[in-house]
Amino acid sequence: MAGDIYLNPLSSRGMRGALLAVLLAALPAVAHAANNCPWINEATASGLMGGDAVGVYTDPAPAQSAVCTFVQSEAGITRILRITVMETAEFRSVFDTESKVCVTLGAPLIAIGNEAIVCSGDDRKKLYAERVVGRVRNQVFTITLSTSRKDDSILTRSELKARILTAAEQVSGNLF
Amino acid sequence: MKPSIQLRHLFAASLLLCGMPISASQAQQPAVAQPAASQAVPPPPAYTPRAKDALPVEDTPAQREALAAWKAKAEQKAQEARQDHNSEVTPTYNFHYGKKNPFTPGNIQVQGAGFIQPGAFPTAEYCGTCHQEAYSQWRQALHSNAFRTPFYRTSVNILIRDKTRGIAFTRHCDSCHNPIGVISGALTEDSKVDRARFDSDGLTCTTCHSVLSLDSTNGNASLQMGVPAVIVDEKGERIPGMVPFDMILRHPERHSKAVMHDFLRTPEFCAACHKANLPATLNDYKFIRAFTAYDEWQQSKFSQRNPLTFYQADFTTCQDCHMKRAANTYPEYGAKNGTFASHRWLAGNTAVPFYYGFDEQLSKTIDFLRSGNYLNVDIFALKKQNEDKLIAPLGRVAYNLAPNDVIEAYVVVQNKNIGHSLIPEVRDLYEAWTEFVVEDQSGNEIYHSGFLKPDGMLDPRAHSFTNRPVTDQGEFVDNHKVYTIHSVAYDNTVSAGRSVLVRYQFRVPAGIKGAISLSARIDYRHLRQSYLNNIFGTDHPAYPVVELASRTRTLNIGDNQPEDPDPADNQDWIRWNNLGIALLDQQQYQEAVQAFTEVIKLRPLYVDAYINVGLTEISWEKYESARTAIRHALSLDPDSARGLYYDGLLQRRAGNTEQEIADFRNVVEKFPQSRDARRELGITYYQQHNNTAALEQFEALQKIDPDDLTAHYNLSILYRRMGKPEEAAEQQAMFVDKKVDPGAPTYSLDYLRNHPEISTESIPWHLHSDIEDKSGAVEHGR
Repeated sequence: MAGDIYLNPLSSRGMRGALLAVLLAALPAVAHAANNCPWINEATASGLMGGDAVGVYTDPAPAQSAVCTFVQSEAGITRILRITVMETAEFRSVFDTESKVCVTLGAPLIAIGNEAIVCSGDDRKKLYAERVVGRVRNQVFTITLSTSRKDDSILTRSELKARILTAAEQVSGNLF
Repeated sequence: MKPSIQLRHLFAASLLLCGMPISASQAQQPAVAQPAASQAVPPPPAYTPRAKDALPVEDTPAQREALAAWKAKAEQKAQEARQDHNSEVTPTYNFHYGKKNPFTPGNIQVQGAGFIQPGAFPTAEYCGTCHQEAYSQWRQALHSNAFRTPFYRTSVNILIRDKTRGIAFTRHCDSCHNPIGVISGALTEDSKVDRARFDSDGLTCTTCHSVLSLDSTNGNASLQMGVPAVIVDEKGERIPGMVPFDMILRHPERHSKAVMHDFLRTPEFCAACHKANLPATLNDYKFIRAFTAYDEWQQSKFSQRNPLTFYQADFTTCQDCHMKRAANTYPEYGAKNGTFASHRWLAGNTAVPFYYGFDEQLSKTIDFLRSGNYLNVDIFALKKQNEDKLIAPLGRVAYNLAPNDVIEAYVVVQNKNIGHSLIPEVRDLYEAWTEFVVEDQSGNEIYHSGFLKPDGMLDPRAHSFTNRPVTDQGEFVDNHKVYTIHSVAYDNTVSAGRSVLVRYQFRVPAGIKGAISLSARIDYRHLRQSYLNNIFGTDHPAYPVVELASRTRTLNIGDNQPEDPDPADNQDWIRWNNLGIALLDQQQYQEAVQAFTEVIKLRPLYVDAYINVGLTEISWEKYESARTAIRHALSLDPDSARGLYYDGLLQRRAGNTEQEIADFRNVVEKFPQSRDARRELGITYYQQHNNTAALEQFEALQKIDPDDLTAHYNLSILYRRMGKPEEAAEQQAMFVDKKVDPGAPTYSLDYLRNHPEISTESIPWHLHSDIEDKSGAVEHGR
């Protein structure tokens, strides 16, 4: 449904492909040693994604977001949990901008951070995803949980919807 | 048709439940649309409760054999899972306090060796299949939300981010707030534990119901957590993990034996967590008592363990107030005669249900706070400036009021039926205060204390029932960084059964027409505005303020005649008695004796009135007149334990040791758990060099209150005399650790010096006024 589609940077085919290639090639070697995502640990991410995930954390550059990306692959399916956090005095506008990544207004989520929305959708082609945009004080966060297969038996549409909320509570809780 | 409730696996359950209709004006967000699917829980498996006196079902040999096989397999599975978990977690776990103390600074212990894997704990959804009422209540209650709320996470995250401490130190807090996180070894850097399994459920069903024993009443989770089991076999041996429901329904008595220990119904069980201290292992300083609702209850009239209370009541436990039985709405196999002990644990937390949109929990919490006749507010007296006469009890005597009169109003707030202090526990975060308003008949404000400012902050000169913990720099610990607390600048909470006098001064306007009204109310909110600002920034909705109790009186300009009391008013003798108690606590001994003497005039045969006079005079060091009062009390009731206790003190003063011992022994026989009587009898024996008898009393005292300094001090000496150097050293160390740091009051003074707007609150006898004196200064703290 077109109304559910969002244009996530990750869903841009070229970017996604390049990032996946880098992650899949490099992560097994470094992720366990650098499992320092401040908002969700690798075991929890693995639980959400249905198998051993590997992740990397990128410190924020000036005026940019810090990013955690976890990838889990098995049997030709790639699942990705991507979290971004930006600390900014312009949190209102950043929140609004991030919210607009969903084509339609997201549904407000109660009891996640100061405020949060969730939107569901996919990029028509290869990613089936749920996305949360939220805020804790002056920190704006986004969470995207996606799978590359529509018929993923673990991250079904309903499980995506349930598990993104678990991720949102973990992330927002650690941002308080 | 039986109703069904919405249950969900994983965290979505809580969000779905919080998606019940909410009030847009109260919730953090105005609306919710939940994307996650829900599933209506089917009715629980069929079960017909057996008659009360029915014998348990007898198993056939084949059934016994099958159960034994199940048990063996379950044990093996549990053991292997635990070993695997420990192999994964232990190598990188931060054993900051040594390998023998994996959960320090918390006091929690576990059955067996090593961490317990989160998967060992049956989920709340599993329990909720048959206990749907319990589940639905628990999901909205504080226990299930003990960890995940922003109000808690903000505090614990500060500790995690503290560069000299870190996540290992949070085991202190999480032992009670997230015990599975602690005992699974999740609280370490680079955790290997999937936290989605337990963070959202805080204290789940199988944490409380898996506790095997209580180690002490030290608090900070002083308990032993067992490997969870929901059933025992015919020999009473626990079978770990989840079992098919038909196994439970065939033997509900075995289910009860596994999960319903008798101690669950005792205040000592609540004490495991509703008592907390800040140990040196946390603060690198020394033991500081944080809060102890349990001891407050034990010293209250409701425990019937303390002979020295001002009033008496039926024995009432924590559970009697906070787990009241009520008719169940959902299928609930734990119900008896259609009622079930509440698993909402209604108390004072309005912030969590407000944040989560748990409207039912919020409204029931507010109803609870306003029920029970917990507080009494009494505008007891007026006093005109430059006159000694007290116009009291207000409403029962005639008086005259004129324009320009400067009036002092006495507001007596009685903690009447709370089994602990007003306010209890984390009183640096919770806020209750007196709001006092004087208005003319047109509603124009003449005087107002205790208002909320536009930014939500409380009038700094309000009389609040809070405290002010401070750091070693004399700064208020605004953000609950409890490990920085070094002193408490003041603590204006009202102990159970006691009263406080709050005095307000105002001037009757010169041109006043008609009557004026005086209104006193006790407001409460959870939490302080500045703490909410710490959590959310300043852009959060106003959190609920609840009026707990109030009283309004109308005063005529001119003559006022006695009037009939309001049905909610205390009787006159109680009003005087409460004033006396308040004055005693504010060290106004002469006035307290006068108040208690008024009680005697109204009830000449009331024994406690004479005792109250006597104990006030003991505090006032007027021993001869105290003796007269206590003797009179004992002539009316020779068995009064309260009278005998104070007589014991007076006999000691007079050097009548035999009578002193007889008095205290008498009290101890009547009240074996009287910490005061045990302490004094121990001191008496000690002074008589009766070491064995003294030891007996101090050891008994320590079992009642493990933090009693007198017990630590004297036991250290007695053990040494008895050739027990190790025990002596242990007691000495605890005495040194627990006694007040003599330097600590200076931190409080620094704070009070820098905060004149609030410093008078540290003075027991102070006045709230906005009338300026000749120099232009306001007469605060007169």
